Amino acid sequence: MSHLGERVSALVDGELNHHERDRALSHLTFCADCRAEVDAVRALKSRLRSLDGPAMPADLTMSLLRMSEPGGPIPPRERPFPAPRTFAGAPIPSMHSVAPPDNRPRGRAGGPRRSRRAGYVAVGVASAAVAIGTLFVVGGANPNPRVVPPIDMFANQHGNTAPFGGSAQPTLSPTP
Amino acid sequence: MIRLPVTVFLAAVMLLGLVVGTPAHAAPPDEAESEDTGLHLLREAAIAGRTRGYSGTQYVTTWGRSGAVSSVLEVRNVPGRGLMMHSRPSDPVQMADPGTPAGGMTSPSEFMLEVLARNYRVVAAGRGHACGRPARLANVLRRDGTVAARYWLDEAGGLVLRRELLDGHGKVVHAGAFVDLTLDPARKGAVPVMTTGGFSLTEVPRLFAGGWHFPRALPGRLELFAAHNTSPGYLYLGYSDGLSVVSVFIQSGVLDEERLQGWHAEQRSGHTIWIRDSAGQETIWASGGHVYTVFADAPADMVDAAVAALPHEPVPDLWTRLGRGASRLLSWVNPFG
Repeated sequence: MSHLGERVSALVDGELNHHERDRALSHLTFCADCRAEVDAVRALKSRLRSLDGPAMPADLTMSLLRMSEPGGPIPPRERPFPAPRTFAGAPIPSMHSVAPPDNRPRGRAGGPRRSRRAGYVAVGVASAAVAIGTLFVVGGANPNPRVVPPIDMFANQHGNTAPFGGSAQPTLSPTP
Repeated sequence: MIRLPVTVFLAAVMLLGLVVGTPAHAAPPDEAESEDTGLHLLREAAIAGRTRGYSGTQYVTTWGRSGAVSSVLEVRNVPGRGLMMHSRPSDPVQMADPGTPAGGMTSPSEFMLEVLARNYRVVAAGRGHACGRPARLANVLRRDGTVAARYWLDEAGGLVLRRELLDGHGKVVHAGAFVDLTLDPARKGAVPVMTTGGFSLTEVPRLFAGGWHFPRALPGRLELFAAHNTSPGYLYLGYSDGLSVVSVFIQSGVLDEERLQGWHAEQRSGHTIWIRDSAGQETIWASGGHVYTVFADAPADMVDAAVAALPHEPVPDLWTRLGRGASRLLSWVNPFG
């Protein structure tokens, strides 16, 4: 049997089936090189398991968190190919000008936070307008009736009232 | 021995004279009467206007905001029946009291003459002619000496032949004069009786208790002489200085300006009032949930001062209206309100 080769790692990981595992172990009984290699792999794996996980950079963590927020910015998508050449403002098709379709939501690409703030302002203004309108209508509703003075009757009473004439009520004459 | 009693007697007589002549024991002199040398003429005219029968033609001119307005009246006074007048023969006959503005205010009550004497000085101003008849003149003077009114009084019957009202600048604002007069024969045995008159303010306490607020006097020495709200829907207030009369009508409500036909708005001291071109002084405005209407037979300056003294609350601005709305909303949701 030839040396174990790539099967050393599989043997250490326990990924060989029963028959292959017996053959690999019987080979190790007389092949010192393969035994040394298996020992080295086992030692390496054991050392790797004893190590802590890699620390993630703080800026990377914050960037990822911002990406996960609803209004967070999305990094600009880098085009895998250089910008297409143009002629008179019109793009010229070329071999590398066919880019995959950009199916990202358009609303978030142009200042999503600003648009959200504008939405809040709009809702606030509308609410204030409704409240002020309600107060205006309620405060202006005058319960008093609309009247027009009966001019002829008043003129008649004025003309037929004797100043300091006593308690006698004026006798109203027919309005001409 | 003899001279002493005479001296004592003379001293006693002098002392008695001093005591009797002391004002505390004498009747107080009526200074107004002593100065108002023409007041008795107006009193005689007031009596004659009610007790003498007459007929004639009167020419009445009033200088208002829109100029002079004149009218011709056919009048007929029958004692016991009243004063009848009409403008044209085809017009219906109207009855009027000679102590009212419609009757020319030629026969005021005794009470009004007292108010007149309190606010003015009435002096005899000689003799003259009016309506082709000899007349005695009486002038009504203000405290500053300017003439407020002039009277021509018939020498024979005592009637007012001509009456003029003047404003503070000496301009005649109202004139009423006979152009033709026929006196009926004086009735024998008729007793001239002066109308006493007085205030009509018995309702004032009830009105104040009911929430009405109005002044008892207006500028120009205008005194409140009557206050009624017996007629439904409005309050009537009558003011007079003994010479002119100002009537104020107050209604609860908001002035419906769109239905004021023939009236036009005018700004007066920052407030909007409504006037119309007519012979009389007529003014309408709204203030504080009430509508005020003023009719006056008085000089324009006096009417303007009286109108300015009455309430003129400004129209509520935006913040006042919003505050009132907030108060109403709170009162609606307040369970303890």
